[in-house]
Amino acid sequence: MAKFLEYVPGDSLMHRMNPVAKVLCALLISIACFCTSNLVFLCAVLAIDFALAASCHMTKQALGLAKAVAIFSIILALIALLTTSTGTQLVALPWGYIGTGSILAAITVVIRLVACAVPLFLVMYVTQLNDLANSFCKILHVPYKYAFTFTSAVHFIPVFMNDMSQIMQAQTARGVEFDCGFVKKIRLMAPLCVPLLISSVRKTNSAAIAAEVRGFNLRTRDSGFKEYPFTLVDVVCILACALLIVVAVALNVVLPGGTIFMNLLASF
Amino acid sequence: MIYLKDFSFKYAEHDNFALRDISLIIPDGCFVGITGAAGSGKSTLTYAMNGIIPHCYPGDFYGSVVVGSLDTVEASLTDISRLVGSVCQDIDSQMVSSVVEDEILYGLENFGVAKDEIPSRVSEALEAMGISDLRSRSIDSLSGGQKQKVALAAIIALKPRILLLDEPTAELDPASSFNVFSLLKNYATEHGMTVVVVEQKIALLADFADKLVIVDDGRIRFDGTPQEVLSHSDELLDIGVNVPRSTSLINRLRKRGLYRGAAVCDVADAVRVCKEVLA
Amino acid sequence: MIEFKNVSASYDDETPVVDGLSFQISDGDFVAFVGTNGAGKSTTMRLVNGLLKPTCGQVLIDGTPTTSLRTSQLAQRVGFLFQNPDRQICCNTVRDELLFGFTAQGVDSAQAIPRVNEMIERFGFDGDAEPFLLNRGTRQLLALASIVVMRPPTIVLDEPTTGLDYRECTKVMDLISELHMAGTTVIMVCHDMEVVGDYAKRVIAMTASHIVADGPTFDVLRNSEVLQRAHLLPPQITDISMKLTEDVPELHQSSIACADTLQQMEDAIASRVEKEVR
Repeated sequence: MAKFLEYVPGDSLMHRMNPVAKVLCALLISIACFCTSNLVFLCAVLAIDFALAASCHMTKQALGLAKAVAIFSIILALIALLTTSTGTQLVALPWGYIGTGSILAAITVVIRLVACAVPLFLVMYVTQLNDLANSFCKILHVPYKYAFTFTSAVHFIPVFMNDMSQIMQAQTARGVEFDCGFVKKIRLMAPLCVPLLISSVRKTNSAAIAAEVRGFNLRTRDSGFKEYPFTLVDVVCILACALLIVVAVALNVVLPGGTIFMNLLASF
Repeated sequence: MIYLKDFSFKYAEHDNFALRDISLIIPDGCFVGITGAAGSGKSTLTYAMNGIIPHCYPGDFYGSVVVGSLDTVEASLTDISRLVGSVCQDIDSQMVSSVVEDEILYGLENFGVAKDEIPSRVSEALEAMGISDLRSRSIDSLSGGQKQKVALAAIIALKPRILLLDEPTAELDPASSFNVFSLLKNYATEHGMTVVVVEQKIALLADFADKLVIVDDGRIRFDGTPQEVLSHSDELLDIGVNVPRSTSLINRLRKRGLYRGAAVCDVADAVRVCKEVLA
Repeated sequence: MIEFKNVSASYDDETPVVDGLSFQISDGDFVAFVGTNGAGKSTTMRLVNGLLKPTCGQVLIDGTPTTSLRTSQLAQRVGFLFQNPDRQICCNTVRDELLFGFTAQGVDSAQAIPRVNEMIERFGFDGDAEPFLLNRGTRQLLALASIVVMRPPTIVLDEPTTGLDYRECTKVMDLISELHMAGTTVIMVCHDMEVVGDYAKRVIAMTASHIVADGPTFDVLRNSEVLQRAHLLPPQITDISMKLTEDVPELHQSSIACADTLQQMEDAIASRVEKEVR
């Protein structure tokens, strides 16, 4: 059972693509989502997202993600609902009204966020962290130190979560009842940060030493053994994603409904 | 060769010396077991040999530690690391990758091993530790024993002259512990590598080590072959070092005047001696 | 009494980590679970005190299934010592650490403080010391003390001697043995067969999620077929005594497993030799 945002092994096209290209494509798709408020276009992007997820057998994860993002964006959708007074009036508000346009705006916010977030998260599922860091060093010349900091941080998350769950188990065994209300649970968990902190300091310290005695300081951009060449597929995918932006912008020009700038404003 | 001469060390944040007047010679190709009670200074001794002292832990450093041809104070930690491969106690935190193969690659890449040589080094290291089948597995999915072997393979791939291990079998069951030690011993014998291992499990050390070093309260108390060292079973127990029961039994017979030969280290020898005594 | 009735459990609802376990542990028993890593021993311990609930079958503590007991009720019945004391210790002083369990279970402090003081004296702690500055062995003792102070009728120990040196190991195990003498039921997982031979009264051997042997310590440790199946080695003393059966048959009758029997063996061999000489 794969955990949240953890690499799922596979051999699909998305698995095999260049890591940098994957990230770039995901970013381009996201930008495209923010370039237009055209609901049809956004729905189409969402459909593309799920087609991509299906292509790498990640539909279940993508659905989970979509759900999480949708719940998160409900707050933003509510704001949009209450502040955009357009369309036929349905409910009067002291400062305006909720109209059919407001509902559309709210739906747009949710769909846009989901459509733009899913590809970014999908990249995490189909890319090894090491490949991501190494390719960023090789292709984008990101200094290795930063890449290493990033990968170690992500690498340590499950280690710390495992620590925390063991610490909580140890306290449960002593009669601490964590299965209670949220506020009380937080209060019970607070003192447990001490053992967690101590074990994390120890772990990071020994990790730093372990990396150093394995030549961390010698590593340069060219050290990586694996090469990450751009293939035709990568280029085609990037172009396709760039095309999405062009379509989004063109839709704005052809169809009435706000500029890019206004859309960006509205979405935040 | 590792050569410590009148070496003493006090950690910056401590009042007492962790190690005092240590003089020790470890010849090339030797399999050395270091043991002692908790807090006796045995881990500090390994830190001195791989340069972590004085490079990572500051403190008062007296005497000299020479590893191969490097004086550990003058040489950089990176240069010492080319010579001495270390596996520390906490395996989980020293893993830098999520996949076995990448973990082995890491050190090879850093130390600039020629790229056409890398694939063979990776396969050899995995094979030496008997984990070729784990090559593309995720490290999270491995058992403790398998992880330990990955950590060892990652260091062995670098072909260090000296391998330094701090309690490599602490988390392992007896069968896997024995397995790890025999893999190590075979590899070291084949490649003439020096192995220095800190270990609580005295029976394992007695089985595999050419030389035992017993540390007590910052000093070396005994230094010799397992037979020599283990003949002092009472003193060892006194300073908190366990002794294999087979050794204790034969030492008792010796005290009783029934046996005059050397101390034994394992069950087979003990049985042999008992049969001799009875015959 | 603790009773497992055909218990299976898994962490992911798919592959069972323990499968169809059935056994009873009566009050005052001292049971050691042995087997390789991944055999399901630690999972069994978690089932005993309800940290993990069975996916099928029942775990009964004094007749009540663990599923119908609340966390604090379980903690009162079964104390659990984890392998790594640093998972458990979370207070700023030794005294607070010993009080922690009482607070968690809502026990009146007037009742708790005398017991805490008694523990501090018995274990020879400094009540105001900071737990994280103590050495590993003392931390393990503190973790044990903070369980024992609650006086649970049963204690479960997950590899209580891992990471300890010989002296610390003996100290921890002697304390556990004292508790057992005073009537506490002790259930432990232990890799060190010498420790198992020295202290446990009964051994349950597990391999691949199943129990392969369950009986008095000496019987299990002498059963080479079982040991082989569970990838275990007998304690050296037991091994030697078995290999000397032909030469010294009397060794075979006495149950030789623990350190005390070194003397017995020495005497047996010596008296044989003397007989020969005569």
